Amino acid sequence: MATVVPTALEMPEELQVVGAGEELPEQVTLWQDAWRRLTRNRMAVIGLFIIAIFVVTALVSFVWTPYPTWRQALGPTYQGPTLLHPFGLDDYGRDLLSRVMGGAAIALGVGVGASTLASTIGIVLGLVAGFYRGTIDWGISLLINISYGVPDLLIALILVVLIGRGIQNIILAISVTAWLGMARLVRGQTLALREREFVEAARSIGTKNLKILTRHILPNALGPIVVQATYLVPAAIIFEAFLSLLGLGIPPPAPSWGSMASEGYKALQIAPHIVLVPCLALSLTVLAFNWVGDGLRDAIDPRMRR
Amino acid sequence: MSRGTLVYAAQRLVLITFTAIVVSSIVFIGIHQLPGNAIARERRINPATEAALLHHYHLDLPWPQQYALWLGGLVHGDLGESLVNEGTQITPLLLREAKTSVTLGLAAVAVTIIIGMSLGVLAAIRQNTWVDYVASTAAVVGYSVPSFVWAFLLIILTVTGFYAWSGGQIYEDIGWGKIEQIPVPAFALGLPYAAIVARLTRASMLETIRQDYVRTAWAKGLTARVVILRHALRNALIPVATILGPLITGIITGSVVIEFLFGIPGLGQEFVTSILSRDYNIVIGVFTFYAILIGLANLTVDLLYPVLDPRIRY
Repeated sequence: MATVVPTALEMPEELQVVGAGEELPEQVTLWQDAWRRLTRNRMAVIGLFIIAIFVVTALVSFVWTPYPTWRQALGPTYQGPTLLHPFGLDDYGRDLLSRVMGGAAIALGVGVGASTLASTIGIVLGLVAGFYRGTIDWGISLLINISYGVPDLLIALILVVLIGRGIQNIILAISVTAWLGMARLVRGQTLALREREFVEAARSIGTKNLKILTRHILPNALGPIVVQATYLVPAAIIFEAFLSLLGLGIPPPAPSWGSMASEGYKALQIAPHIVLVPCLALSLTVLAFNWVGDGLRDAIDPRMRR
Repeated sequence: MSRGTLVYAAQRLVLITFTAIVVSSIVFIGIHQLPGNAIARERRINPATEAALLHHYHLDLPWPQQYALWLGGLVHGDLGESLVNEGTQITPLLLREAKTSVTLGLAAVAVTIIIGMSLGVLAAIRQNTWVDYVASTAAVVGYSVPSFVWAFLLIILTVTGFYAWSGGQIYEDIGWGKIEQIPVPAFALGLPYAAIVARLTRASMLETIRQDYVRTAWAKGLTARVVILRHALRNALIPVATILGPLITGIITGSVVIEFLFGIPGLGQEFVTSILSRDYNIVIGVFTFYAILIGLANLTVDLLYPVLDPRIRY
């Protein structure tokens, strides 16, 4: 931390006034500090870089891919990588580079969409449960406890069968269980924060509950929330791939990474590139988000301060 | 096992039963609120047959009555009859499939614990050497590669790889039924979680090997094996044991995909097939089985704590 405090000895004697030469320590907010420590973490920076490439690829794929993602018979089916098609062609002769680019857009949409939706529900209900306690808390805690006994993939599968397989429905099906983890985290934070003196002080001057929640409790719980929301993105991306592999993800010909892998599975022995290309893209993306998540966790947690 | 432990286990068993009933009730009631019925959806049949089928499955009754009938069956361990394959009793079918899933799951847990702990211990006792860096990097990468990607890589390695390497002599077939078909899906399922266990074991080992009693053990002249395995690792395992519960739930979730990919006739594959054919009775049954399996797995983990740490008593 660059704090400039000239020592008294360097100054002419007549100018020496107690405290006069001292500049105020540089003002650094928690988030500036966290950002600074995040960018000092090598893994997190590499992760951010990969995520940047991933996001740019996803955005570019909306306006341009080398070939349309659905165009078939561009060359011999199962063709390996060539100059024209650097990642090769799939079982319908579609260009895998174009499809993997389109898949990035789907993964980004599902990952960020589900993380946002699940976090919003989880934050609101977690705050309410932790702050007001009572019946709502009882209900949410019961839901959380029951959810430990049920694999969330099964619930998502049922929902997808019932409500259909569009991208919004997939996001919804993932969020239906994913919010519980966020709610548990926020509830715990709120339970601890509501007993703190600054909340008591706010209440004593007549601050409304809503304002206490949004201005005093939520900002103080934001660190762990951001970390959890970051981890939710790769989790949702993997979840979508699971659904697609089981044949219940976003319907073809949409180039979801999971369905690309699922389609290539049939020809794994003769054309492994069809499976490997989307799997590599998926693993890299998940790895990047996990690195950034780990970096954020270390950067925001004050106990890790060195 | 002390009296207290038995009482605790009994309480937990009651709780597991209760959770299983609540979970399956929620699914039952949820599914029965849907418009339409499974029979009308599947095939075109004449009205008389349809009425007879609806009557056979009690689908002509109002749902609270259906629920009461179903609940009555459940407490006797009877999950009813398949809606698609008439006459197939669900309980024996799922019991058989649960055996397969549990075999696969236990093999995956073994992979997780053996690989995860070895990597973790190795990284900790060789902290800041290349062993540590390789193990730690492998742990982060391993965790980010989902089980199905491991499955594809392992299939390429074993099936295609062995075939080419042996000049066509060895052909490793994927599937289920032979003992040599267990390792590949078990590794695919266990490796991502092995990475988590490795990270935790490393962190926890680093803390314990700096404790005074470990230094005393070294000072007494005990061999490295005894100090590391019996003194340090045993205590380092306590924090690791806490994640075994969520980990088992994760392995069960992952097994749905792995069973589907490898064609393993377990609960997960049954679930996917049933949900696609809208055989809701089996879907509800699989939920019930999973709730019980997860409950029992967590109970086993909790009963493990006092073994690791005698200070914990129930």
